[in-house]
Amino acid sequence: MVLDDLGSSLRGSLGKLSGQSRVTEADIEEIVKEIQRSLLQADVEVSLVMELSDSIKERALDEEPPGGTSARDHVLSIVYEEMVALVGESTDLPLEDQTILLAGLQGSGKTTTSAKMAWWFAKKGLRPAVIQTDTFRPGAYDQAKEMTERAEVDFYGDPDAEDPVEIAREGLEATSDADVHIVDTAGRHALEDDLIAEIEEIEEVVNPDRNLLVLDAAIGQGAKDQARQFEESIGIEGVVITKLDGTAKGGGALTAVNETDSSIAFLGTGETVRDIERFEPSGFISRLLGMGDLKQLTERVERAMEETQEEDEDWDPEDMLKGEFTLKDMRRQMTAMNNMGPLDQVMDMIPGLGGGLMDELPDDAMDVTQDRMRRFEVIMDSMTEAELEHPRAIGASQVERIARGSGTDEETVRELLEQHKMMSQTLKQFQGMGQGNMERMMKKMQGGGGGGGGMGGMGPFG
Amino acid sequence: MFDSLKDKLGSFRSDVEETTEEKAADAEAEAESEAPASAESEPKEAEPDDDSTDASSSNSFAKKAKSFAKGEIVIEEQDLEDPLWELEMALLESDVELSVANEILERIREDLSGATRSFSDETADVVEQALADSLLSVISVGQFDFDSRVREADKPVTIIFTGVNGVGKTTTIAKLSQYFEEQGLSTVLANGDTYRAGANEQIREHADNLDTKLIAHEQGGDPAAVIYDAVEYAESHDIDVVLGDTAGRLHTDEGLMDQLEKIGRVVGPDMVLFVDEAVAGQDAVQRAKQFNDAAEIDGAVLTKADADSQGGAAISIAHVTGKPILFLGTGQGYDDIERFDPEELVERLLGTDDE
Repeated sequence: MVLDDLGSSLRGSLGKLSGQSRVTEADIEEIVKEIQRSLLQADVEVSLVMELSDSIKERALDEEPPGGTSARDHVLSIVYEEMVALVGESTDLPLEDQTILLAGLQGSGKTTTSAKMAWWFAKKGLRPAVIQTDTFRPGAYDQAKEMTERAEVDFYGDPDAEDPVEIAREGLEATSDADVHIVDTAGRHALEDDLIAEIEEIEEVVNPDRNLLVLDAAIGQGAKDQARQFEESIGIEGVVITKLDGTAKGGGALTAVNETDSSIAFLGTGETVRDIERFEPSGFISRLLGMGDLKQLTERVERAMEETQEEDEDWDPEDMLKGEFTLKDMRRQMTAMNNMGPLDQVMDMIPGLGGGLMDELPDDAMDVTQDRMRRFEVIMDSMTEAELEHPRAIGASQVERIARGSGTDEETVRELLEQHKMMSQTLKQFQGMGQGNMERMMKKMQGGGGGGGGMGGMGPFG
Repeated sequence: MFDSLKDKLGSFRSDVEETTEEKAADAEAEAESEAPASAESEPKEAEPDDDSTDASSSNSFAKKAKSFAKGEIVIEEQDLEDPLWELEMALLESDVELSVANEILERIREDLSGATRSFSDETADVVEQALADSLLSVISVGQFDFDSRVREADKPVTIIFTGVNGVGKTTTIAKLSQYFEEQGLSTVLANGDTYRAGANEQIREHADNLDTKLIAHEQGGDPAAVIYDAVEYAESHDIDVVLGDTAGRLHTDEGLMDQLEKIGRVVGPDMVLFVDEAVAGQDAVQRAKQFNDAAEIDGAVLTKADADSQGGAAISIAHVTGKPILFLGTGQGYDDIERFDPEELVERLLGTDDE
């Protein structure tokens, strides 16, 4: 993913700041170097890196941290703001009739992207059509035809025609029933004057609502010149980064966004027509900086809750915050957690738990936790209704019986009871705090649940 | 390619020259005033801890004095800091991968710091030599005579092309087919890309244009089998060179990388060429390494060299694989392929004559 490593290396250097209330110039120097290195390794253009790091440095030294803010949080928020300012919002794509022209270098993935985008628009309920104007590359027509068949969208192309401008004109007419027209073009680079002239002509005929520049995630410093040339000749409204499923970081896209004063529209993450994502700036940068992806986490939690409630209708998670937290609640919580998806993914989205902490956990920590949850479920199956409602009343002889009944040992049963106790205590702290104050909850959790491990710290999300 | 690096290398040279010229002037002035004393005190006898008595007789002064006696000045590490930083940025701006760039810099630092130059030498020459050595040692790895190796090998010679999606493997094969035919070597193309939509049509059109035989199977077939068939065809028809295409794949796709390994094993090619694009940035190192691991490469082809003035990918790829860059793709025509000559490149990079 774009700039993946920046997150972990930044966390490293920012970690050193924790506890400090003031940052020294040397601290800043070190952090800025770290940022520079990460950005350069991500193929962000050198002068852009210097600009970005200079303004981070300047602000970090000049601006007083607001009262109560630690030095670490202050620097982090500056980095965050500067990055957001650079990346901007994702390209605005209204779900309405429109024409989109794709441009880019040879082999950057325009044809695949056009089919993917068509698939995306089709899923949003619009009727898209792809118009293939690449008369140069052998096999381009066949590739586009096959990809659009896979995407189940309209397609226009003419393998016998020679003039791309003519094909574009006829293609728009032939597909006039469609809502969204995506015009694919032959690959070309900034120095091919005749081809640049050609795409200008196509642009004139097609009169697109937006032109998207398709860039390979692996592109290096050349992204700047390429982007500038396309911007000059046809104007670029958005950038699509392709082949992000490799190890390339896609920093060239940041360069292009900066150069064309545009934004990122889509990310290409695989070879099938479904492997396309809209770019999400806030989540992207939050995760990048190890701040957790709150928005995505909230969505997942909501979805998981819905699924859990379908199975168990008379349960309202709000009750948990009011009354007694029983083992039944805990089981529902575990089910909800399971519904949310792989634990490590969920963990990564939780602010404070994601990133830094995850890096410190051994790789198999998550498996163990998932195993443990499964074992707990088995144990609960061997409990009576009364025991589930009032776990605190469970005595030694009951523990022995439950262990035998569930085929586990007494120690595990006690572990479960211990876990429940911890969770219900954590939960008590939140009762009456009201909803939505995620941040304060996080702070408490970090303080109280840090050593609890496993599910102790996750209670409030159920 | 390499246009901006060329400019930057020039300014590195003049930066170092400038600082050392200043020093030379200082040294001369200093030497004039203290000439009698320093000329007599033999530098080797200067005690390193004896700075309490006379600060000016410290080690570095002794060295300076010795150099002056020999008509030399010393380039010190701190003289290099700023120019080296500039050079590092220049290498990064040229898409040389960060760790590779650092290695080049390290070599230059070692070569230059403490290096002495006589007053009669130009500093520029000393710097130029260090730059040239460092660059050459990175990109002129594993050189071999490609043409004669193909000519002299038992026929048919099987060459397989690997690389990620969209770098230009198929186009390169078409260009090399013509390259070999011009040398009087017959070729057969094998479409080992049984995956991508339109792959068969693309290579068939090239084969038709070039009037070359193409061996292809249905989409979804076994790529190793296609290339194997092409080798059999070449054997029975006295064809000299088999050019085997493979599907583009990202090095992170384990399944496809395993498949590549299998192709290498089953076909047992005489040569594997890794194709990447000149516009590639830092990631070029990652993929070159991993493709080399899956099916060991003999050399690399850099495509789209006409699109780009950077070209640092060439340096990075040669460095991490230890294999030479053999060809550059320089356009969309079948003739647009050039042999890559590292010495010529370094000469061009450091040449001051043409700008």
